[in-house]
Amino acid sequence: MTKRPEEIINTLPPLRRRQVLAGMAGAAAVGLLPRGAFAQDGNVLRIRANSNPSSLDPATGGAGSDHVFLYNFYDTLVDWEPETLAPKPGLAASWDFTDPTTLVLKLQEGVTFHDGSPFNAEAVKFNLDRNRTAQLSNIKKDLANVSEVQATDELTVTLTLSAPDTALPLILSDRAGMMVSPQALNNDPEANVDRAPVGTGPWTFTGWTDNEKVSGERFADHWREGVPGVDGIVLNVIPEAATGLRAIQSGQVDLAYQLDERQQQLVDKMPNLTLVAGPTLYIYQVYLNSARGPLQDVRVRRAMSLAIDRDAYVQVTQAGVGEPAYMNLPKAHWAWSEEAAAVTTFDVDAAKKLMEEAGFADGIELDMRGYPDQGSVQRQEFLLAQWAKIGVRGRFTNAPISEASGRFFGDEKVGDLLMSAWTGRPDPSLTYALMYGQTSYYNPGRVAPPEGYEAALQKSRESNDQAERAAALSTVQKLAMEAALCIPLSIRYEVDATTDRVQNFKANLLGKPKFRDVTLG
Amino acid sequence: MLNPLQKRMLRRRIVQAVPVLLLATFSVFMLLKLLPGDVAITLAGENATTERIEEIRRINGLDRPLLVQYGQWVLNAVQGDLSESLLSGEEVTTTLARVFPNTLFIVCYAILLSIVIGVPLGLLAAARSGGLADRLVMVGSSVGVALPNFWIAMILVVALALNRQIFPATGFVSPWEDLGGAIWYATLPAVALAASGVAEVSRQLRSSLVEVLGSQHFRTLHAKGLPFRSILWRHGLKNVSVNLLTVISLLVNRTLAATVVVEVVFAVPGMGNTIVNATLQRDFPVVQGAVLVMVLTVITVNLITDMLYSVLDPRISQR
Repeated sequence: MTKRPEEIINTLPPLRRRQVLAGMAGAAAVGLLPRGAFAQDGNVLRIRANSNPSSLDPATGGAGSDHVFLYNFYDTLVDWEPETLAPKPGLAASWDFTDPTTLVLKLQEGVTFHDGSPFNAEAVKFNLDRNRTAQLSNIKKDLANVSEVQATDELTVTLTLSAPDTALPLILSDRAGMMVSPQALNNDPEANVDRAPVGTGPWTFTGWTDNEKVSGERFADHWREGVPGVDGIVLNVIPEAATGLRAIQSGQVDLAYQLDERQQQLVDKMPNLTLVAGPTLYIYQVYLNSARGPLQDVRVRRAMSLAIDRDAYVQVTQAGVGEPAYMNLPKAHWAWSEEAAAVTTFDVDAAKKLMEEAGFADGIELDMRGYPDQGSVQRQEFLLAQWAKIGVRGRFTNAPISEASGRFFGDEKVGDLLMSAWTGRPDPSLTYALMYGQTSYYNPGRVAPPEGYEAALQKSRESNDQAERAAALSTVQKLAMEAALCIPLSIRYEVDATTDRVQNFKANLLGKPKFRDVTLG
Repeated sequence: MLNPLQKRMLRRRIVQAVPVLLLATFSVFMLLKLLPGDVAITLAGENATTERIEEIRRINGLDRPLLVQYGQWVLNAVQGDLSESLLSGEEVTTTLARVFPNTLFIVCYAILLSIVIGVPLGLLAAARSGGLADRLVMVGSSVGVALPNFWIAMILVVALALNRQIFPATGFVSPWEDLGGAIWYATLPAVALAASGVAEVSRQLRSSLVEVLGSQHFRTLHAKGLPFRSILWRHGLKNVSVNLLTVISLLVNRTLAATVVVEVVFAVPGMGNTIVNATLQRDFPVVQGAVLVMVLTVITVNLITDMLYSVLDPRISQR
């Protein structure tokens, strides 16, 4: 049954007037669609955030990704230089160790909370006591060395310490130093502001829709001159990195932070985007359980570290955006040490020799653990190839982060090693204490660190002079590297993209961006 | 308005829905518990002590036997209480009330597109079966069925959102707040979802129409001198309407499932995204609630389809 063209046309029903009108109305409706949504939305900074916050109360939250949200609503007692993380005044205008166990904070004048209540020594005492003792606090450990907090006068707070701790100022630049309005908590330390943050920060909180967005508007009475740089802030939660990049490419957001390193090349090719990149404290590394099997021998651990070509590692797994790591800090950090970094090199022959000396000329078989995402698997494959050269064999068993690390570091102690990362701490002495201390969670074998380690670490916490501290920390790091207690691989770089409108945005060494100075052109 | 037969069918279907709902929510609950990972560890935060994790397990009742946890959930759900998200503390009903309309909007939009584009194409192909138009439509629909919708989504984004900024690449506007904006934001996701729908509708419509048009009944219509267009429109379509309805109802259910991927690609705050996020974080009350609503939707769609069958073909309800 073939038909001629005119027959086909005849089989279609004739158009009626009503249908023609409906069609015209439809066409008109399309024309009415809002074109304006691409237009710039006043003076509001729109940001792509990569995860929903765990809580907006600094004391109760648990995720390292929360800070980027928290900084907008809270100020910290101590601030830091973005490039080096050296401490500088925040809500505390100055601080002083009057003796090794007494820290005196002088507060800024004329600061108020978003709810209008005054920021003073009593408020600081309330917050620090809440952070170190309240049931709900997740950060009691940060302030473990503080034994008493006194409001000496309206603007002076005195902290009495149970042991010397010069890491404290930088600890107060983190969650522990974020000041919540006591009035918003009804002066009850066990109350929380999980869903409705009230601080002294650049923006007042206006809303949080789960897995969608968190927003704020200018706090007109903010104590810093010219802060914030924009009237409003919206953090759009878009977990998927590729979707995040598309959002900024097509203009739905102005800024996207913590993109994947491999996306840097894409950002470079896009004419309307600016790349902001720099080192962070985030470091890819292999944790070793030095209490198990062949890894008890320091020569085996050293060999495994020497066998890795870290330059190639950065090229392969981070598209060249990063920095090879020979210790637990990036080069830009004030406590980076040339001496400590020189302990580790890339030397396959030396590694083979060490394996022979240890009696493992025929190689060893290890139980390796890791995470199942694509990037992690790629890193694992690289490591396996490098270790194969010195006869270290094995297979990675992968599980989600909380599961894999919980079983490796926790009471179960499964696996010889874990390919993971260290997210960094504001003060390096914390990093060292947490990573290598004998009772520390991140020391899976709970093995004692080398002799002189604890003494040097304590020394770094007793001095208030940065050069002295750096020297003591250099000894700490050198001892840890010589004992090869873990295998640092590379520094992750912060990869952020901004549109041309965004000005004054800087990456920082902590890798957790602050937006208070950003303006829109 | 319903005849007794239809009423009986309705009652039967509602009774049948209960075991389906129980089975679906129970298996999802068990699957979630079988997965490695623990919401208590997430809640406790980085470098939490084992005691703190235990404490959080106890506070949230995660230390009770699994069947007790499930039973409690069912008991509360029957009373309309879907409990709260373990992570955000938000009522699950509030979350679902916010995200479900978004998903429904995109699904309806996609189905509408599938019908509006698919039906004329199917008609055209059937009317000139074996001809050039038929072949083009069939090749096109094969491609449409074969291509995964997330890939189509990516291509659409590159072409229409990045190279030319005609539509937004990500995000969503609630239809209650701004209907025009909602349509504008939902267009790319809906088109991506509709690609396979158009293909499915046109293909199925064509094959059933061709079959019907070749039957003796239609030869008789020809013989009595009825013009081809009224054979096609008045008799042909009516005869294949039951088939078409089946295709569309299956399509609704499939599109609903496909939103999981497409919503992630377009960062749409809908059911799909909610389920993905909640599953990754083992936030089981949210997953349970979302699954419950999805299953209810599918059951409702099937029920409406059954009712429509008996409207289109009264013989069906008498069987």
